[in-house]
Amino acid sequence: MPQLTRRSALAAATLPLFAFRAHAAPAKANVGFFTEAKPTMIAKGQGWFAEGVGAPITWTEYGSGAEINTAMVGGSCDIGLATGSVATAAGIAQGLPFQVVGLVDNIGPAEEMTVRTAANIRTPADFKGKKVATPFGSTSHFRLLGFLKTNGLTQRDVTVLDMKPAAIQAAWSKGEIDAAYVWAPAKSKIIEAGGTPFTTWDKLDKAGYAIADVIIVHNDFAKSHPDSVVGFLKAYGRALAMWRGSPEEAAKLVAQQAGVTPETAMAEMKAYDFVDLAAQTGEAWLGTPGKPGRFAEVLKGTADFLVEQRSIRSAPAVGAFGSALNSSFLQKAVA
Amino acid sequence: MRRVPGFLVTALSVALVLGAWVFVTTNGLVRDLFLPGPRDLWLGFSELMEDGYKGRTMAEHLGMSLLRVGAGFLTGALAGTVLGLAMGTSRRLDAAAAPFVEFLRPLPQLAYLVLLIVWLGIGEASKITMLFLAALPVAAIAARDGVRNIPPERLRMAQSLGASRGQVFWHVVAPSALPEILTGARLALGIVYGTLIASEIIAGSNGIGWMILDAGRFLRSDYAFVGILVIGLTGILIDRLLLLLERRVVHWAGR
Repeated sequence: MPQLTRRSALAAATLPLFAFRAHAAPAKANVGFFTEAKPTMIAKGQGWFAEGVGAPITWTEYGSGAEINTAMVGGSCDIGLATGSVATAAGIAQGLPFQVVGLVDNIGPAEEMTVRTAANIRTPADFKGKKVATPFGSTSHFRLLGFLKTNGLTQRDVTVLDMKPAAIQAAWSKGEIDAAYVWAPAKSKIIEAGGTPFTTWDKLDKAGYAIADVIIVHNDFAKSHPDSVVGFLKAYGRALAMWRGSPEEAAKLVAQQAGVTPETAMAEMKAYDFVDLAAQTGEAWLGTPGKPGRFAEVLKGTADFLVEQRSIRSAPAVGAFGSALNSSFLQKAVA
Repeated sequence: MRRVPGFLVTALSVALVLGAWVFVTTNGLVRDLFLPGPRDLWLGFSELMEDGYKGRTMAEHLGMSLLRVGAGFLTGALAGTVLGLAMGTSRRLDAAAAPFVEFLRPLPQLAYLVLLIVWLGIGEASKITMLFLAALPVAAIAARDGVRNIPPERLRMAQSLGASRGQVFWHVVAPSALPEILTGARLALGIVYGTLIASEIIAGSNGIGWMILDAGRFLRSDYAFVGILVIGLTGILIDRLLLLLERRVVHWAGR
């Protein structure tokens, strides 16, 4: 006869309790993130995300969206917060086990080319023979390659170097690179150290090189803990509302988390187009269940470009990207 | 029991591993993202050979890598051998240089990668210096021990025959230490080769090591495997060449 231990007795006693709720809250959630100046940092710092998930969160900082993809495959990441659309498009094309449940921001001018003022770069043709650094595999890298392509430049005309944001700052101060395509805070720091913004984003967005940051969730987690996903999105909505309502206070909280001054946080956040949860279910972004929005086409275009670059082997039809957009959680979060 | 010839065991073990690889990949036991099958690998290989990788041909990538290895190894092994010979001849110099050489030898190269970037920048200088520093202590210690292990009577014999210090060095010390110097060089080359990928992390845009890292970013494992095969086979080839050189130059060693 199997022994009735205290633990199994306890489990038997609590079983009916859980049976009432269709989906139990997870014991904990692994969330991958990046340290940056965004309202997401408020929800992280104030514990709103943990509240929304209904469990303690293990926060892991990743170096790139590609790393989050790898962690998703290995099952060590449940939610990827503000991961870039490029890594996301690559992951969907490769059939990785995650879905897009929401958007953090439309990047717009927040990631942009900065040229060394002394390098005297005025037109795209001036980039010939110059050294441009960017973190490879990132949304910035994607835009930079798009910039080269749309201007008829190749990677033989321009030396494109693979560098992390911190390394870009160091190399910039030593005058080793002529330009960099990167995001804040590295972007603002190199502008301070003798850089000039070189606007590329408006043309590139129109030419199909739009980039965004999204929230992705592992398929298993989304299936077992849908309420936690809704709670997570609500927490972001709350932080976004605070940024809209009292930007000063929001910037202060973000600054603490990102390790910058409130003024810098404010300036950096103004460069992003943070999209309200309700607007995310619109035609331009995730759309509604069964009727995915145009963001699926952006992801498809991104994946096709990655195939052309040989970064991934093949990309499925636009339908596969549409079905990776799951707007049902957003609908519940704004309801 | 009859003895099985070594080459048969080798052939069997290679066939076994290849067979297991073909089996798990063709039966769909693993996804091609994690382990590409023979067909994917061949496709990836021919693509790389035809069109190159990210704007450069495979020959250019391999050439850049070998150039770095060559420059780092030659300078490092040469400087290390000179230092080691001096350390072996002079106890005082040995006492002065040993702490630095001994400290540097087991130090993982990635540990000082950041410093090299800060000091020397992101260009070839920091990459080659990293390889130089990997080769130097190994070569130095081999040369020093080579000198130390010379039987004293051999030195005394030369001296008693009236050889000058220079003559003793060139005719006795250097040739006697040569076998160990060459063994040290082979060891150093192995370490330099192993450090190559780490050195190509620095602001990369070319080289086989960089290609493997870059391909791995979006799980492009077919390219990564081709890179690993290329780097592995080239490594064996270089090692064999050095071994051949060693056997020719110091044919008397070990006899």
